[in-house]
Amino acid sequence: MSTITIQDLSLRDIRLSAQLMALREAYFQAVPEICAERPALITKYSLEAGLFGRDRITVLEKARLYRKVLENRAPVVWHTTAHKRTAAGMEEFPFENTTPFAGSTTSKFKGVPIYPEFMALALWPELATISRRKSNPYCISEADINTLNFDVFPHWLDQTIVELARARGSDEDRRRIQLLQKLVFFLASKPNCISHTIPDFSRAVSQGLRAVINEAQARKESAGDPSAKEFYQAVSEVLEGIIAYAKNLGNAAAAQSGLETDPGRKAALAEIARIYRRVPECPAESFREGLTTVWVSWTAVHLENPNVGLSLGRLDQVLYPLYRRDIEAGRLTIEQAVELLGYLWLKIGDHVPTVPNAGEQLFGGSGSNQAITIGGVDAEGRDAVTDLTYVMLRATELMMLRDPNLNARYHPEVHDGGYLRRLCEANVNTGATPALHNDRAVIRALTASGHTLEQARDYGVIGCVEPGSNGRFYGHSAAVLLNLPSALELALFNGRHRHFGLDTLISMETGDPPGFATFEQFKDAFHKQLCWVIDQAVALNDWLGRIHQSFYPTPILSALFEGPMEKGKDLIEGGAAINASGFAIIGLADVADSLTAIETMVYREKRIAFTGLLDALGKNYEGYGWLLARLREPEKTPRFGNDDPRADSNAIWVVRTLHEALQGRRNYRGGNYRVGYWTMTNHAGFGRLIGATPNGRKAGENFSSGLTPNSGVTPFLTAALRSVARLPSEFIDNGMAVNLKFTPDDGDRERMLESFVASVKGYFDATEDQGAGGMEIQFNVTSHQDFVEAVKDPGRYDKLLVRVSGYTAYFKDLNPQMQKEIIDRTEYRLSTGRAVPYDPFPLPQGAGHEQS
Amino acid sequence: MNRAKKSALRLSCSLLPGRIQDGVVSWFSKPLKVQLCGKITDEFLELLLGGMDLAFALSPGYRRNIQDFRATYVFKTRDSSVGVSAVFDNGNMSVDPTPRPFCQALVCFKDPHALWSFLLAKDQDILDSLLANAVDVEGNLNYIYKFGYLARDLTRRLGLA
Repeated sequence: MSTITIQDLSLRDIRLSAQLMALREAYFQAVPEICAERPALITKYSLEAGLFGRDRITVLEKARLYRKVLENRAPVVWHTTAHKRTAAGMEEFPFENTTPFAGSTTSKFKGVPIYPEFMALALWPELATISRRKSNPYCISEADINTLNFDVFPHWLDQTIVELARARGSDEDRRRIQLLQKLVFFLASKPNCISHTIPDFSRAVSQGLRAVINEAQARKESAGDPSAKEFYQAVSEVLEGIIAYAKNLGNAAAAQSGLETDPGRKAALAEIARIYRRVPECPAESFREGLTTVWVSWTAVHLENPNVGLSLGRLDQVLYPLYRRDIEAGRLTIEQAVELLGYLWLKIGDHVPTVPNAGEQLFGGSGSNQAITIGGVDAEGRDAVTDLTYVMLRATELMMLRDPNLNARYHPEVHDGGYLRRLCEANVNTGATPALHNDRAVIRALTASGHTLEQARDYGVIGCVEPGSNGRFYGHSAAVLLNLPSALELALFNGRHRHFGLDTLISMETGDPPGFATFEQFKDAFHKQLCWVIDQAVALNDWLGRIHQSFYPTPILSALFEGPMEKGKDLIEGGAAINASGFAIIGLADVADSLTAIETMVYREKRIAFTGLLDALGKNYEGYGWLLARLREPEKTPRFGNDDPRADSNAIWVVRTLHEALQGRRNYRGGNYRVGYWTMTNHAGFGRLIGATPNGRKAGENFSSGLTPNSGVTPFLTAALRSVARLPSEFIDNGMAVNLKFTPDDGDRERMLESFVASVKGYFDATEDQGAGGMEIQFNVTSHQDFVEAVKDPGRYDKLLVRVSGYTAYFKDLNPQMQKEIIDRTEYRLSTGRAVPYDPFPLPQGAGHEQS
Repeated sequence: MNRAKKSALRLSCSLLPGRIQDGVVSWFSKPLKVQLCGKITDEFLELLLGGMDLAFALSPGYRRNIQDFRATYVFKTRDSSVGVSAVFDNGNMSVDPTPRPFCQALVCFKDPHALWSFLLAKDQDILDSLLANAVDVEGNLNYIYKFGYLARDLTRRLGLA
């Protein structure tokens, strides 16, 4: 299957055109602008259709609403202005734009889409000041402020997902919503979206949307179930809407072409007009048409749900036949393919998530986490790396963008060293991308979790790092972000939490730890508290899911997915071929190390009584310097990440316990619950909300990211990776993020690359105890000094790309706590595999209150 | 402010241009402006609600924010020493010096500074408020967001934004 014809895998001679470079520069200058078009249209048509105040909205009503929006939104072919920040405020600037991809997610060049149905009302207090806020400001016009304040938001006060859930729920449901709003135990993402999945673009590309409409109509005729008939009609409605939007763009391009005097621009517009009048309605006949189909479909999907981790999947597989055909026919060169992808990558990043100021502190700097997956094996297990895999890698390397988030699959038994070397080289060149996934471990995890072998082999990466079968897995992989140390807190304080005061019982009493005679008794208490938190999170996720079923069917996404057409029902009703909900666990290393600290210090070595340990936690280790020093020395207190079975066994126990606690549960769509270990920026946000922990972490400090061992306590790279690889990957079916920081060694680049490849290979090949090897790994290859300089002078490092915990971000956009977390990560020298001396960075100043 | 006085003010101000109306509101709200400029005291909540009430009466532009809007907010301190209700009813606002049993949103705050920080700090730090356990909110958060907008719009009209 593998067809590699290019000689130089790095494609180092390929460069971007001056036009694309200039557009990229404009993109970096542009401040995201809030766009009121979508919310205004959605509100207007919802009012016209009488959709407010109802007990249910059908999939067909929703589809007709979306079709109207698609037909009536402004067809913007080329944006030529945006706003940038100046000392005097926001200032409009013009730029040249001849992108081959017309249309956009919002009406702006770089927009902030607004979803009043979900959580956009959180922006309400900030509308007038958001363009001046310190952290990641958005531009907004006075007209859009008024539209949102007077014409949009008031209608949604009682109609958002959470409020619909609260109004219709039991007292228990309301109590769980209240628990969610405390932010301390878990975050549930259904109030904001479902997203976090991969559509199936293959049919739209190869057959065109008209063929899908025809199939829907045929199925409607033969369906006996009225709800199925309604669903098929809904599919037809939204696909007609997408086709109409594309044709509107084509017509607008034709009109602009007619007025254009510059011959180059005139021809470019005419070509856009030709293509957009053909696709996505008809099958794509060229690589560019295939990309256009993907792009237009992609913009349409964003109409339904905010884009949080909605991912494009295995584009190198979907588009390869068109690419190869064009190359072989001489209609396309590699240079042109890289250029087209560069333009598409810019388009994919044309919107940023809607994040209120408080959210900036939890998720600050996050893009939409739109993952693209390259490489790997095909459904039959054959090598699926193609020329297009390398072309996409090169486009990513040249563009250096936050979105899309590139993920590369590598199978240790299938792929050769040249491919892995190229992936490592791209990480050195970009400093942060792509993330690497071990097919052997991922496929094992997915088959253990219900995928067939063929489905598992055809996985794509969703959002940050979550694997799921491409175009057929509706997994809402970020359904719950669980603050694991909160369960530890409840165990330490007998069902109470320091955040709420120790006189308030939050969960249930499992005993005062000083009364526990054995470590097993403490583990049992932790287990019970963990199950209580999971019970709350699962019940709330299911309740919110049922509200989505009643009010937010997703006919557009359903039309671009494997399963709904066959089953005759929407994704939200369980229409996908594979269903699931995902948990992401935050704080594994901190909890595992805390358990080991308790086991070692209190029970095995009896160096401190449990009462003393609780006193130390209460005093944030003030006066307990000896304890702190002992906890931070892995020779004295075993720490996860040192290839030490005493510490690793507790991490394994936690992973196994979480899997067992969730595996028997079924969600509201009939799918299972899956467990993953990736944290986005929540390890910093949640860290702020938890007091000192028994592993020596002080109050408010960050937790460790993803599955990464704690910083500063793992001096050897190989040992750290062996510990992580020892975790049972079959229990990690919702993905993991292992964040490594490499110091670029000066001088011998060749030797550095060799070490890089060897360390990844060693991690993926660590298959002792019938393991499948490490599952995932991602890197920051930037020196400590560069990070420190970037804090001081963000303007000079405005394009510095970093891996957070799963996704890529611009370092300058991260909040101070996250910047510190990145800088403080254990940093290894590639040449020796040893950590450089740990030197925690002082928290960058600047936070705090100011008078308005 | 009683209804008759409000009606009289509303009538007399309706003839003035918008900027002048805001100027009148600003002139009458000097004590609130002092608080907003950094001297938060126990009177903060009372002055804020009073300032809003006045601005709704005098400024049609500000009043437009509560046309067709009906909601009750309860504000109280943790120790229940302070408890008031702000009632909005289609273009009118009234302040009830008792906490009403039914409301769209209840804001329970540790002290006036915590409330100010929650509603009006420049880089409003809700997470810090929660971290410090300084403010608890029960009910529909969307109504809190709306109230936040109203409070900030008022500060803008007072020339403080």
